[in-house]
Amino acid sequence: MEHAVQALAPVASGEYLTFTLGREEYGIDILKVQEIRGYEPPTTIANTPPFLKGVINLRGVIVPIVDMRIKFNLGEPTYDQFTVVIILNIGRRVVGMVVDGVSDVIQLGAETLRPAPEFASTLDTRYILGLGTVGERMIIVVDIERLMSSREMALIETATE
Amino acid sequence: MSIDLSQFTQVFFEEAAEHLANMEALLLALDVEAPDSEDLNAIFRAAHSIKGGSGTFGFGDIAEVTHILETLLDRVRKGELSLTPAMVDAFLATGDVLKALLAQHQGGEPADEAAVQAICARLQALSADPATQSAGVQRYWLECVLSPAIAEDSTAVDNLLAGLAELGTCEIVERPAPGAPRLALWIETAADAAQLREVLCFYAFPEDIRIDAAGDPSAAPSGVTAQHEPYGLFTNAPTEAAATADPGYSFFEMAPGLPLAETTQADAGYGFFDAVPGSPVQAAKTPAVTEGEGYGFFNAAPGAPAPASAESTLAASSVHGRRASDDPLVEISRAGRRQTDKVAVNSAAESSSIRVSVEKVDQLINLVGELVITQAMLAQSASDLDPVQAERLLAGIDLLARNTRDLQEAVMSIRMLPMSMVFSRFPRLVRDLAGKLGKQVELRTIGEATELDKSLIEKITDPLTHLVRNSLDHGIETPERRVAAGKNPKGTLTLKAAHQGGNIVIEVIDDGAGLNREKILAKARERGLLVHDGMSDQEVWQLIFAPGFSTADQVTDVSGRGVGMDVVKKNIEGLGGRVEIESSPGYGTRTIISLPLTLAILDGMSVRVGSETYIVPLTLVVESLQPRPEDIRTIAGDGRVVNIRGEYLPLVSLAEVFNLHGAVTDPARGILMVVEAEDGRAALFVDELLGQHQVVIKSLESNYRKVAGVSGATILGDGRVALILDIAAVTRMGLAINRRQYGRLAA
Repeated sequence: MEHAVQALAPVASGEYLTFTLGREEYGIDILKVQEIRGYEPPTTIANTPPFLKGVINLRGVIVPIVDMRIKFNLGEPTYDQFTVVIILNIGRRVVGMVVDGVSDVIQLGAETLRPAPEFASTLDTRYILGLGTVGERMIIVVDIERLMSSREMALIETATE
Repeated sequence: MSIDLSQFTQVFFEEAAEHLANMEALLLALDVEAPDSEDLNAIFRAAHSIKGGSGTFGFGDIAEVTHILETLLDRVRKGELSLTPAMVDAFLATGDVLKALLAQHQGGEPADEAAVQAICARLQALSADPATQSAGVQRYWLECVLSPAIAEDSTAVDNLLAGLAELGTCEIVERPAPGAPRLALWIETAADAAQLREVLCFYAFPEDIRIDAAGDPSAAPSGVTAQHEPYGLFTNAPTEAAATADPGYSFFEMAPGLPLAETTQADAGYGFFDAVPGSPVQAAKTPAVTEGEGYGFFNAAPGAPAPASAESTLAASSVHGRRASDDPLVEISRAGRRQTDKVAVNSAAESSSIRVSVEKVDQLINLVGELVITQAMLAQSASDLDPVQAERLLAGIDLLARNTRDLQEAVMSIRMLPMSMVFSRFPRLVRDLAGKLGKQVELRTIGEATELDKSLIEKITDPLTHLVRNSLDHGIETPERRVAAGKNPKGTLTLKAAHQGGNIVIEVIDDGAGLNREKILAKARERGLLVHDGMSDQEVWQLIFAPGFSTADQVTDVSGRGVGMDVVKKNIEGLGGRVEIESSPGYGTRTIISLPLTLAILDGMSVRVGSETYIVPLTLVVESLQPRPEDIRTIAGDGRVVNIRGEYLPLVSLAEVFNLHGAVTDPARGILMVVEAEDGRAALFVDELLGQHQVVIKSLESNYRKVAGVSGATILGDGRVALILDIAAVTRMGLAINRRQYGRLAA
């Protein structure tokens, strides 16, 4: 019970799914994750930003696929049998996110999250909830809902910001 | 013991709405000269059911209005009063008031209290029958100065006098003539001064009207106050009862449905059943019993719902039977119609329908859609198998394909509703509008049984209403003009629905003046549209779909503002349909709307461009061909056109529109698909045609956003997603690219 209340807290603290993009490690709230599946070539949509790979058929639902490696400028993306798509549930929408690999699920308390310093990066600090440390690893905890609903992702007609 | 009634109120609202709709349909179909007693009974039953239900649920205002309505109806159906057009008008108006009251109780806008009072007074005035009851008749001195424009117009004056004559006997003292706008007359009427004023106010300014009650033939009807109290036990006995001094009225008589007479009547009406094998005798008898019971003391008692529902079934079913026979194509004699009524009653009594939320049906349709895709995927994988070794598996897959298709059809048919759902609203609209415009119009509907997807039914209503209003206002002429043109003074407006291939075609046909080519062209020039005299009629008619275009000389509150036809066209095209107009001067106009049967499934042609597969809606494809190299011409560089049998069509390359690489660049090596775009045809250049299939339309917007040039997506047999092209947008984008390239070369 206490757990559920914590998960609803504004700065989500609790379980995070971590994944790698290039040499960076990111974490997202596990409750936003619907499933993880292998990459299959999507149907491309013309005149869309390059990071939008296209749409796939997920059991009858048309789901857009974004490649975060292209979005974050993390080198030339490769697609092989190890490429993974994380299917996210954002609000009532379903979005797929291509990452290099999924690492594990970790526990991060709110107190272990350090605010991210202001720096010029492709990922606006608005979308970073904080930096967590697990042993030697630094995990960038992303507010994935806010990022995916943002205007710069152009996934939603009337994006909030 | 208290029962929570609120859970039933929703059912009451739905039933009441149905009863009102039935009542309206019956009233409109009613022949005022010789009303069918069966119909009158059905109207009465509808009113009675609403009254019973509203009393039960404590909606006193509805019960009050329906009670007065029912009292009048009861007298009409028993032949105590003869039906007049004024009554039908009043009944229809009552229906509107009741709708407003129902809406109010459902949490909508509060109904207009004055309108409620007015309608009660109007019904009571009508109920005071001048022939049998002199007590209600008043003699009025009526004097007014007509507006000059009215006085000039002899038809208007005739209309006014006819309107007054409907209210009572007139003794004209001074008849208005051009230049002498004064009207003076004695009128003996059951109506009150306010009603007379209502009639006159269309013709004269209120301050110019003088109405004096002169020498009351007898005391003012004392019953008026009593009638306001619907549930009084004894006083409720229709006041006219006392006035007519009919010896038959006594204690039980107060029940408008007097038990004795009712039983015989009902028996006569439904005795038919006894002869029908397996017919529910019980149901047939019920009205006879309940009408006696429902009236009397328990009018508003909770006992009412049971009889109400029994009656509602009958009322609803008899309407149903009537509808079927109303189809002008089916000429059924009166006796034959009775027969159909009975059959309908019979079947409705045994099995009826269930109410299911649209959500559930949609879920079912989605699931079946999935099944169809899975089946297609299975079939595709199985096609690689050795037919000899996997014979039984392949046979099973064939069977699965057939069953899936049947299942899909059956499920889709759940959402299908008959066009009568839309058409049924027009008799009232046409009647009201024709009255307002001073035109005589007969409405004919053909093919009401044609079925259409529910969502389309909802979306087609507004455009159709607009077209009907247009036809009435601009199409059909006034009776005088029609007579002058040698036509029947009564115009005909025909609504027709039919299936044509995978489409439904709805036509709005009037036999009015037709479109005026010169006028449209002149108006188009005025508005700076690109026109020339050599345009074909078809092209000229399409001009009226331009935004803000109106040829009406004057703007009326019906139409003429020029808002609308463009919206009509846009709405219909939004549904994947098309509008065409045919017109010949003096003979009328025909507007043809063709729509796909459903929004969920689309007949598509799959095409390949580079490595991509797209679906083109088949309804928009005119033909496909492989052009000869010499048929491809360029205009100033890159604006390419193709010559197809002497017609030059702009060439739109899908690869260019969608920035695709690896596609065929030489049109002569690809395929050109001639498509109907918004403004004329265009040739869509693709690599090859893959095949034709029915595809289930999926929204891109539910998880992504609207994409230019794409109207939706679907899932192919191999599980991949293919985009469905929005041909109008693709063509626009293609032409824009052509223009840009042409511009660059020119600069």
